Amino acid sequence: MRKLLLLGLALSVFVAFAAPGMAAEKVIKIGYIGALTGDTAVWGQAGLNGMKLTAKKVNDAGGVLGSAIEVIGMDGKGKPEDSLNALSKLIDMGVIAVVGTNFSSCNIPMAPVATAKKIPLLATAASDPKVTVDETGKLLEYSFRIGFIDPFQGRVLAAFAIEKLGAKTAAILTDIGSDYSYGLSSYFEEEFRKLGGKIVASEQGRAGDNDYRAQLSKFKTVNPDVILVPWIDKDVALIAKQARELGIKAAFMGGDGWDNQDMITMAGAALEGGYYTSQPSFGREVTKPYYDEYVKTYNIKPETEALFGHDAVMWIVDALKRAGKADSVALKGALENTTGFEGLMGTMNIEKKTHNPVKPCSVMTIKGGKIVYVGDFMPKN
Amino acid sequence: MLAQQLINGLSVGGIYALLSTGYALIYSLLGFSNWAHGEVAMLGAYIAVMSVIAAKLPFVASLALALAGAALISLVNEKFFYRHIRNNNSPTMFLMIAAMGLSTTYKNLIVVLVGPKFKYFPQILPFESFEFCGINVGVLDIFSIVVSLAAIVLLDVLIYHTKFGLGIRGCASDSVTAELLGVNVNRYILIVFLLAGGLAGCAGVLLGMKYTVYPSLGNVALKAFIASVFGGLGSIRGAILGAFMIGILETLVSAYVSSGLRDLFTFGLLIAILLIRPEGLLGKSVEQKS
Repeated sequence: MRKLLLLGLALSVFVAFAAPGMAAEKVIKIGYIGALTGDTAVWGQAGLNGMKLTAKKVNDAGGVLGSAIEVIGMDGKGKPEDSLNALSKLIDMGVIAVVGTNFSSCNIPMAPVATAKKIPLLATAASDPKVTVDETGKLLEYSFRIGFIDPFQGRVLAAFAIEKLGAKTAAILTDIGSDYSYGLSSYFEEEFRKLGGKIVASEQGRAGDNDYRAQLSKFKTVNPDVILVPWIDKDVALIAKQARELGIKAAFMGGDGWDNQDMITMAGAALEGGYYTSQPSFGREVTKPYYDEYVKTYNIKPETEALFGHDAVMWIVDALKRAGKADSVALKGALENTTGFEGLMGTMNIEKKTHNPVKPCSVMTIKGGKIVYVGDFMPKN
Repeated sequence: MLAQQLINGLSVGGIYALLSTGYALIYSLLGFSNWAHGEVAMLGAYIAVMSVIAAKLPFVASLALALAGAALISLVNEKFFYRHIRNNNSPTMFLMIAAMGLSTTYKNLIVVLVGPKFKYFPQILPFESFEFCGINVGVLDIFSIVVSLAAIVLLDVLIYHTKFGLGIRGCASDSVTAELLGVNVNRYILIVFLLAGGLAGCAGVLLGMKYTVYPSLGNVALKAFIASVFGGLGSIRGAILGAFMIGILETLVSAYVSSGLRDLFTFGLLIAILLIRPEGLLGKSVEQKS
């Protein structure tokens, strides 16, 4: 395994050095910050590998704006202070933009620095809303992200329920102890109402309460078409089981907190026919050639972070072409005005007020106790 | 819906009762609240679930093991920790602090030895629930109400209608006088810990069957503690009454007031009881309620 990793590293260094050869004079530098060492290095390495693989493809096809792309990886160790140092070093090296990280804790302190230095910073999987807007809701102008924020899944679930499941009424059970659950619920409620649905009951509980039958008994009397349960871990299974015990037949829906085969096995028949959302990944057909090439190049299976790396490079290339010049301020403007960017993770628009992407979520269903990929779904703007 | 909610409340109350009687038993003898009680229940649940999953024992055997195991752990707590503190003539507060320490230790021990992820029992009862006049009753609920009631009735008979129970009540009333009259107080205390442990083990297995088994499962004992304060600390019948009342109150508040405010009501009730009627519903007047 270690040998394979070393080989992968050696290859990636080779790719990085070999690529600029074609246009030695003109190079556009893009930085990447991720945990290249330590416990979470598996993601950081995948992100960097993914970017380098994509940059090579771009360069082989003639580069962008007459220049080659050079990807420079810098170890942020998954820690805020190291990531901040890495950001300063990359800016000193003259990068036009920086990609990374996948940790909100690292991007929250980096975003104001990138904004002050006018260098676009593109977070990958960091999902905290505060990565792109500050405490008061003010936009951090140079901070972007490729992955969607957690509550966005609520919007997708609401649209999916109405358009695909034909739901007219919904009930919501929120974990009041969790920001994640609260955010998903409120986005769901807003979108569901906007699309003409009716929220017939909204109840609260707290993870660890264990018994949710008081709330569920109320749901039974209003008989909703779908029940949103944006919880994580065993409580999802407990809620579903208790609901079935009470004779509730409605389909359950949830976010990526459901992405846990153990929990689904435990719920047994209770979650059957339920739906949940998650970040698009290699389940998508269009990712196949990239997946194969990645495996061929690095001899290791790619993590989802590699897809983020790919989409980040392609998004920057797309924005540079639209900006017409290799300048970080112009690049920021072009990134902000992105509509219909086609990445491997789906079509992406950018919300100007928040710099959050509007893009498809992968929708999964539970069939025969197993997680089955249904397809990608995106709410209409 | 009211009938359905009452059934929901009774089934929660039954489990609270198994735990609250344990608090009452120990409080009546030693005058302190055994904060490690919930963890004894949690350990019982782990013994049962691991012997079903890992050792593939039949359920009845694992239930027996859990009861015995939890009783034994409770006994160890008394024999190796609480007794020494009493013999040192330390203040009662020290017993409570030791109990808190044991509670944290057991929780972390399980995290280290078994891991933080939840475990669950395979389906043991054949049916999930049945419908009766529009009310859905879980088979597991009936099972747990029957088991809880049986255990509670047995305990009540033992404490209030046998010579052995008279001994316990004697020690509870005044341990010094009981000792002077030739009662072996320490032996009674040991037996009470065994009893409380067994009840906790039973509650743990029922909790685990209904709500899965995980390291902080014992936290539910906090509600049982409130029930025992509500019913009157040290009063066993009061603890039972308090448990069912808290169970029903919680479901009714969730159903008719607000599910988000449920715990506020429960803990508010605890404060109100301590302020207005510190001896609880059935308790005798006592000065120290900690």
